[in-house]
Amino acid sequence: MESSILDSIGGEIIGVMSPVSICMFLVVLLVYALSPSNPFSAPASSAPIRTAANLVYVENPSDSVGQKLEGALLNALVFVVLIALVTFLLVVLYYYKFTRFLKYYMNFSAFSVLATMGGSIFLSIIQHFSIPVDSITCFLLLLNFTVVGVLSVFGGGIPIFLRQCYMVCLGIIVAVWFSKLPEWTTWVLLVALAVYDLVAVLAPGGPLKILVELASSRDEELPALIYEARPIAPQSGGDRGSSLGLLVAGVSDSGSVEMQSVSRDNPRRNETASNHGDDGIRSSRSDEGGNSRDEGETSPLVSNFRDRDSSSSRSSEFSVVNITPNRGGQFGNRESEIEEEMSPLVEMLALGSGRERERRDDGENDRSSGRGIRLGLGDFVFYSVLVGRAAMYDLMTVYACYLAIVSGLGCTLILLSVRRRALPALPISITLGVMFYFLTRLLMEPFVVGVATNLMMF
Amino acid sequence: MTVEAGIGYALIALGPSLALFVSVVSKKPFLILTLLSSTLLWLISLIVLSGIWRAFLPLKSTIWWPYAILIITSVGLQEGLRIFLWRAYKRLEDVLDAFAERVSKPRLFLTDKMQIALAGGLGHGVAHAVFFCLSLLTPAFGPATFFIDRCSKMPFFLVSALIALAFGTIHTFSMVIAFNGYAEQNKVDQVFVPVVHMVAALMTLVNFALEGCLVGIPLLYVMAILTLMHCGRMVWRRLTEN
Repeated sequence: MESSILDSIGGEIIGVMSPVSICMFLVVLLVYALSPSNPFSAPASSAPIRTAANLVYVENPSDSVGQKLEGALLNALVFVVLIALVTFLLVVLYYYKFTRFLKYYMNFSAFSVLATMGGSIFLSIIQHFSIPVDSITCFLLLLNFTVVGVLSVFGGGIPIFLRQCYMVCLGIIVAVWFSKLPEWTTWVLLVALAVYDLVAVLAPGGPLKILVELASSRDEELPALIYEARPIAPQSGGDRGSSLGLLVAGVSDSGSVEMQSVSRDNPRRNETASNHGDDGIRSSRSDEGGNSRDEGETSPLVSNFRDRDSSSSRSSEFSVVNITPNRGGQFGNRESEIEEEMSPLVEMLALGSGRERERRDDGENDRSSGRGIRLGLGDFVFYSVLVGRAAMYDLMTVYACYLAIVSGLGCTLILLSVRRRALPALPISITLGVMFYFLTRLLMEPFVVGVATNLMMF
Repeated sequence: MTVEAGIGYALIALGPSLALFVSVVSKKPFLILTLLSSTLLWLISLIVLSGIWRAFLPLKSTIWWPYAILIITSVGLQEGLRIFLWRAYKRLEDVLDAFAERVSKPRLFLTDKMQIALAGGLGHGVAHAVFFCLSLLTPAFGPATFFIDRCSKMPFFLVSALIALAFGTIHTFSMVIAFNGYAEQNKVDQVFVPVVHMVAALMTLVNFALEGCLVGIPLLYVMAILTLMHCGRMVWRRLTEN
């Protein structure tokens, strides 16, 4: 039978949700698998890891609640201030066009995250499951993994699928490290980051807002690590985009919806310092400039068309990827482009703690029907941290938090299609996630366990 | 036999739902969203219920009537939720139809509507299985099992997986029946669903008796099969009419 609209609606949302779900699922598995005989936790229990996230206060299970809360607040404050400083530094660097430096810095940070943090996680997996591997093989494999990862994240000509896989990998690695933070610090930190994200993306003068505007006025890619959900079937994108808008708004012109979110995180974390970075989350819509990123190939197409046939443009995008930050600006195009496709995120600043924001262009909405949604890597990381932390309590909290985060993400995406500008992706999801965690833990669990162990169900 | 057992219990509870998900829902992004939102709604209803009942917990495990009240209130709330879902779905359907006209595609087919109802019901069923069975299953992956006093023939995990399967089936297909009943203004179907749900929930009270699970679970499956058959007949009738 003829294809009904059900087949096409909602594809973009699922395109973003599925990698987030995969990332969270793998983090939960890793946390579960590694926690009992965690090689990190053995040393960590005697000497807790010192990271940028707990510079001030090292949580001790025997401390009183007041002490923990105070210490956790201080930790979160210091961490957020660090992130803000790093973000501003990046904005300044970007403003003065140290793009090459930024690019190499991001390459380096991706390399170090994959090699050192990823390496230690692999080591602990090898130890935990007693996988027989000799050190030379292991070293070679790790080196290959890392080099391919750096190339695929920053270079061009690599299949988008591989890039997406590596983005998810980066998210997982960073999130697993973050989940080693003590409990109170984690919760306070998550809330603090959500608030910071909100301010940095939306407040006038917020670093991420400045960065997005700067990037769009130069028609460059945002310097950041961003996951981009690219429509698999480009043609359909137009419809979907519009459909989302429609659904959302109830009514609207079909063309208008685009969202993109872009985020960046830069955390650099070294092993020692687990990280700090900034996260910026932002999504910028390409219209404004974002589009240009794909530059080489796409750009011509892009600029010319503002119409909604985005399909052509999209296709082009795939191919390209260079990342030169300065690509010429065509920025008149805002309307025309459709960023969705912008495949390459060219520059990534850092990966770290990202935050992301999503934004869409305002101007263009009408024209471009295509859309790609971009989500900062930071969002991946902190969603997964929340779920990973929930996994240390019980499976029930994991499910509740997962549902809450995914629905928060859905709400953010819908808002994106209404507001059409970069939005922070953390606040709604993290708020819902934290709320559901505590509701589940305090209210639901005794209820469900009490009822189910008596075999009463409904 | 530990990880295998845990996975086995999980598959007993969720296997059919998984099959439905893979074969029907996962191909259409919109259905996945429907499923997720209905799962979330069910979770919210459970949290509201537990918030209400939290003050009275823990219930004494020797008296059965508080559990009866608990089940009646829970089922009542969830059936109210179903009516809310129907209202929301009605508006959604109008929006979808309007959108379909705009992009000059056909309006929703009958099968589309049924699939949306199925995804909504599947969300409820999965939520039930996840929260009542899967989340208690963690110990089953370890090197031991757990029996409760009143049902000493089977491990607790197996019993809860079996019950979750029955309820998953009931939830999934009763949503299809209910939506169809509302759409056709068919009083029988509209009443059938809450009654089946209530009866099935009350049947779990049989488990309260010593070794009652040997009787209660087969009875529960009778309800599940009844729902399934009713749903099958109704869908067949609708499809042949059209």
